[in-house]
Amino acid sequence: MSDNARVLKTSGTFTPEVIEDIQAKADLGRYRIRGFGALRERRWPTFDDLTFLPCTLTRIPLEGYREKCSTKTVLGAGCAKPIELDIPIMITGMSWGALSFNAKTALAKGAAKVGSSNTTGDGGMLQAERDHSKMLIYEVLPSRYGINIHHLRQADGIELTIGQGAKPGTGGLLLGSKVSPTIAGQRDLPAGVDQRSPARHPDFLGPDDMIIKIEELREATDHKVPIFVKMGATRVFDDVKLAAKAGADVIVVDGMEGGTGASPEILQEHTGIPTLAAVCEARAALEDVGLYGKIQLIIAGGIRNGVDAAKAMALGADAIYIGTAALMALNCNKPVFVEDYKALGTEPYHCHHCHTGRCPVGITTQDPELMKRLPIDEAAERVANLLKAMTLEIQILARSCGKSDVHDLEPEDLRAFSLEASMICGIPLVGTRHVFGGGPGWKKEETH
Amino acid sequence: MASMTCDGRPTREINAEIKRLLAEGHAEIVVKNPAARHNLAVGVVQPCTLIFEGSVGYYCGGMIDGPHVEIKGSAGWGLAESMMNGRVVVHGNAGNAAAAAIRGGSVIIHGDAAARAGIAIKGGVVLIEGNCGYMAGFMGQKGVLVVCGDAGEAFADSMYETICFVGGRADDLGNDAVVATPTDADVTFLSELMVRHGVKKHVKEFKKIVSGRKLWNFDKREWKTWSEAL
Repeated sequence: MSDNARVLKTSGTFTPEVIEDIQAKADLGRYRIRGFGALRERRWPTFDDLTFLPCTLTRIPLEGYREKCSTKTVLGAGCAKPIELDIPIMITGMSWGALSFNAKTALAKGAAKVGSSNTTGDGGMLQAERDHSKMLIYEVLPSRYGINIHHLRQADGIELTIGQGAKPGTGGLLLGSKVSPTIAGQRDLPAGVDQRSPARHPDFLGPDDMIIKIEELREATDHKVPIFVKMGATRVFDDVKLAAKAGADVIVVDGMEGGTGASPEILQEHTGIPTLAAVCEARAALEDVGLYGKIQLIIAGGIRNGVDAAKAMALGADAIYIGTAALMALNCNKPVFVEDYKALGTEPYHCHHCHTGRCPVGITTQDPELMKRLPIDEAAERVANLLKAMTLEIQILARSCGKSDVHDLEPEDLRAFSLEASMICGIPLVGTRHVFGGGPGWKKEETH
Repeated sequence: MASMTCDGRPTREINAEIKRLLAEGHAEIVVKNPAARHNLAVGVVQPCTLIFEGSVGYYCGGMIDGPHVEIKGSAGWGLAESMMNGRVVVHGNAGNAAAAAIRGGSVIIHGDAAARAGIAIKGGVVLIEGNCGYMAGFMGQKGVLVVCGDAGEAFADSMYETICFVGGRADDLGNDAVVATPTDADVTFLSELMVRHGVKKHVKEFKKIVSGRKLWNFDKREWKTWSEAL
């Protein structure tokens, strides 16, 4: 080997990323905080480990041009005023504070254009959001920022949030740079503080108390609208049963790929279970207590497209929440205003700097100048288009599998590429007829 | 004045009856034998007087805006939680998280309050004539918390702009809680509050507790404080 052909050796333990992390913390004196969600390579089974089995000779497909494939979605069917949506893709809760006024309003308008819903977030209700929504879900969170009975009563559904997938077991975080005078006023906080939401609700602790809390929410809304319980995906099999017992009409399970505006990085990377596993446990839990199909299940956490959504629905979800994908429709990480990405020390497609309040595309900021980069009507159109595209993707898969309703997709329509995915989902590995594990439990008699 | 009884009736029916009587124009309603039922008078949003002749369960007066609610007994958890405005008076004791997250109005507890009274209040006034349990005032954002008796452990922990007054012992303060000197305006406020609610306590005995503001923004030089807070 010549002198100038040296081979650089890199530690497999102390990789450049690890060294950078240690040195950053040596400077900060605390854990690292950032936005976006888990960034590390996904070495766990995901929806990409599944494939659909469209019709061949044993099943008859539907014609794309002529034969209907319903996407109508009903949540809280047993309630006096159930939530009726034209599509099964909904916008998840993201706070006004984490997001700009323009972003929240555009999400509301975009969802309404296609007959879907959006959700408030950890900062109370923005009136413009209500005004432009077709269906609005009002979140009741541990912080109770902006809690207002009059807003609660304007909602089409109430979501009692226990936790979220990106950081289950902890509260929200909004760094001082985003706590503008307007946001501070909405939340009854001093402007400019690093605001940490509590991890627990102030007035109940466990599932037994939650039964009473849910009754309170029903009394406050005259028993009309559905009550959701949202949780980050951890001990999903048990938690879903407890939420069902507590009286939830709809249960939302948010997997670890879910996003956040700001959180300790280690929580995003190292807590919770993947969305694929979460949906399987959630369905199994509802089946275990005989409530599958009676309580509706919404799945969230890193859903990127109609394929992920269709697979989650085949595994048991009635509807899907999207958050990060909806922000990308707004222009998150788009290669525009590139110099401003660079000023943050990042680049388009790599930005996770939501926590700084300096979002180059006007989404996760309270800066009026940056916000102008997100014209509401144009942004709403893109959100609506994404929701339409995702719905069409679900429909084309459903039709190819012979389903006249997207909610008829089922585990039998899927096969697993990996042994792990087969074990998690209870779906045969491709090339076999064997079910290797638990999961939603179709054809349990074949379990090996 | 209208009168009704809770005997043999579920919460939903009782609350519906209260709303029906209010809609008929009754401004004052006496509710007999509440028997510690949960969720009574939740979400009432008009000025009126509701008198419960007995103890109530969880979340009585939760999310109200405007009423005067009087409880001639004790109250369970989450009394008047998230109230926008109005007044809730308890003649007995209150369970955990009394006045949690209220945004306005006043909550008057003539007995003792259990743990986390006045947690995350965003406005209004909480007056406890007796003692309070641990972590009262935790994460208080705005408003005033007055404890005439002794404060429990970790009092006024991790607050923003809530102002607390304690008439008895307050020797176990929470993170970033500091003792301040009451101003003349504070003394006047307390005097008027005591008179208005018939509480006999010498206002000059009160200590004032506020946020030290060290947790408002992270500072690595404050490691000792943050090691317990982060």
